Amino acid sequence: MYEVRDSTPLFVGKNYLIVDDFQGMRSMMRDMLRMFGGKNIDTATNANEAIAFLEKNRYDVVLCDYNLGAGKNGLQILEEGKHRNLIGLATAWLIITAEKTSDLVFGAAEHMPDDYIIKPVNEATMRSRLEKVLARKAALVDVEQAVRAKNHALTVALCDRLLAAPQTNTAELLRIKTSTLMTMGHYDLAKQVFGQILAKRDVPWAKTGLGKVAFLKGEMEQAQQLFREVIRANPAYLEAHDWLARTYENQGNLDEAQNVLARSVELSPTSVVRQRNLGEMAQKRGDLDTAATAFRKTIKLGEHSIHKAPSAYLNLAKVCADNGIPSEALQVLKNVSQEFENHEVRLHAKVLEGTVYTKSGDHNNALKLSRELASVIGADSDLPASVMLEATQLFLSTGNKEAADSMAQALVKNNHENAALLGQVGELYDQAGMHGKGEELITKSRQEVVESNNRAVLLAKEGKLDEAIQLLREARTLLPNNKRIMINLANVSVLSMRQNGANDELMQIARDCLARVAEIDPQDKWCGQAQAALDALAG
Amino acid sequence: MENKETVPDISAFLASAIHDMKNSISVLISFLDDNITRLDPEAQRAAAPMLYEVQRVNDNLLQMLAIYKVGNQFYPFDLAENSIAEFVHEVAAQNQSLLDYLGITLDIDCDEGLHWYFDYELVAGVVAHALNNASHYTKDRLRLAVKEEDGELVMRVEDNGSGYPDNVLEAGDAVNKGVNFASGSTGLGLYFSAMVAQLHQNRGKTGTMQLENGGALGGGCFILRLP
Repeated sequence: MYEVRDSTPLFVGKNYLIVDDFQGMRSMMRDMLRMFGGKNIDTATNANEAIAFLEKNRYDVVLCDYNLGAGKNGLQILEEGKHRNLIGLATAWLIITAEKTSDLVFGAAEHMPDDYIIKPVNEATMRSRLEKVLARKAALVDVEQAVRAKNHALTVALCDRLLAAPQTNTAELLRIKTSTLMTMGHYDLAKQVFGQILAKRDVPWAKTGLGKVAFLKGEMEQAQQLFREVIRANPAYLEAHDWLARTYENQGNLDEAQNVLARSVELSPTSVVRQRNLGEMAQKRGDLDTAATAFRKTIKLGEHSIHKAPSAYLNLAKVCADNGIPSEALQVLKNVSQEFENHEVRLHAKVLEGTVYTKSGDHNNALKLSRELASVIGADSDLPASVMLEATQLFLSTGNKEAADSMAQALVKNNHENAALLGQVGELYDQAGMHGKGEELITKSRQEVVESNNRAVLLAKEGKLDEAIQLLREARTLLPNNKRIMINLANVSVLSMRQNGANDELMQIARDCLARVAEIDPQDKWCGQAQAALDALAG
Repeated sequence: MENKETVPDISAFLASAIHDMKNSISVLISFLDDNITRLDPEAQRAAAPMLYEVQRVNDNLLQMLAIYKVGNQFYPFDLAENSIAEFVHEVAAQNQSLLDYLGITLDIDCDEGLHWYFDYELVAGVVAHALNNASHYTKDRLRLAVKEEDGELVMRVEDNGSGYPDNVLEAGDAVNKGVNFASGSTGLGLYFSAMVAQLHQNRGKTGTMQLENGGALGGGCFILRLP
């Protein structure tokens, strides 16, 4: 059926994987590769087989059908392969597809295939595309290595070096360079590059980039205008939708934010993340039907995906409870505890189960669960603030005042500077008919933290660093999520190491504290400064 | 029991049907190509129309799907910088075997170093369709020329046949003005080409499509201009 015609050294000695559910296409593509001189060719008929091959072998070229029927599609296999590091730097991934979709063309840059071929596939196209992609991969292998190693400065330097000489990958290099500059926080440098590109031509990714710069600098009006212009000219451009939704949300225009998210879900119907975003926005607005539908889809689409996460289950349970569907809420909570072997998730599910009973008027079960929880949770305050708040509410509504107080105290002490959250705690007590009780508890708990923190700061100022560290470490054990205490502990540790030289234990403590703060609040303004001081010390 | 007549939602079947049809067309083209290659020139020329017809089915499918998606704002219009040399050689290679079997020579005249911004799939669809069409009406020669003229990219597909009849020339003029006189496959092809031209815009300028007679080979001449 085939003969080797014009085999070039480029194709000889490489490992190939073909993934297609249709026998005719598999053998056709295999014959083409053999004709080009390829010998080591594996074929898979679905995602699971493909992943099994990727786990076993390293491939130079993967030809992967997009629509593989049930299960993952070609892009999702690529995403998982990259996520699990099954795909080498030099692997060329080509998607073979019947039609171009927004996901394929405008999806997340880090999960894009190296090229896509639209059917019908013929020998001439296959050959020229493979030659082109392999040459490009070879030219950009250093850049890609730097990108994957998150070595930002090197990435930019390599891009600049390649851009200095005339070559064919200009647009791709500029995209990599600008996105790296943005990650480094060099917004003005990125803006300059976008401006240079746009001076010559209306390129959607460059205009979207300009919008991102505006967004990150807090210029929301400007950002909104740019993203809308991109969408007007390119109605299927996904990235501009994602950012426009964020912009509207930031401006407090949640109605428009939801409209944009709904549109992006239409454009990208298999995206787990976009469904989740739509669900969360609808939930925030109280549009319970839309939220429930979106979360159900998030769970279904996420089943075999790297984006499978408990939040969609827990949110769906809340939405169902609020929407008068307690049976579904309880079922979802049962599922989440089975699907995720995680203590925190199970505790959260228990709290929500109690909430479902309270809302549906099932007082017996609510009371039973409240008691069970009180004994399990006890003084465990290392839980997300939202879960602690829900638990407090459950305890209050089931008349378990002791458990409610201890949970509320832990919550306040861990977040003594978060005014919005403290306000919510107060409201819970008001709603439970205990006016003033909440305020009292908040003031007292807050005071305790402030005092011990002030004592530590005073000790540090007096130069008694060891004592200050000791005090802050004790406070941190009691209040594992208090940002102020962790930042101060990191700062005093840095101070002590500056005076007495580096110290592995203090270094570890400071690192742990800052990592935890960054996790709780990625936008904390003190964390960056403390981190810089620590990095300078580690130098 | 009430017997209601229901109208099925065709869009639910569209994606999977097209997925299947494209697979079938891929295999069909590959099969025809493999087998026609083995024939002697006389038999090749006799069998070539099969390849032409399959290509036409594919063109129509591509055009309908693109028009449907653009109309519903679902088409991912991908304005990217493309190498003209790579584009021309890839499109020509796709049509090469058909032209060989029919004994038609294809002259390529393009500025190899040129790069231009356009949606690869759509423009390749327009040019491949023009070539396939011209292969049917030419005597024995085609010309594909791609040049920059006055800040626009100009792509010409020319043949040495007897030229477009008047009604097709008129339809070509009309479709550019937003009216579609032609019907059937001619109408679809013209509408698609004009739509692709109009989707390409840059700094206030819009692409155009034009049909005329004459050109370098004296026959029909299809012209696509992109800003």
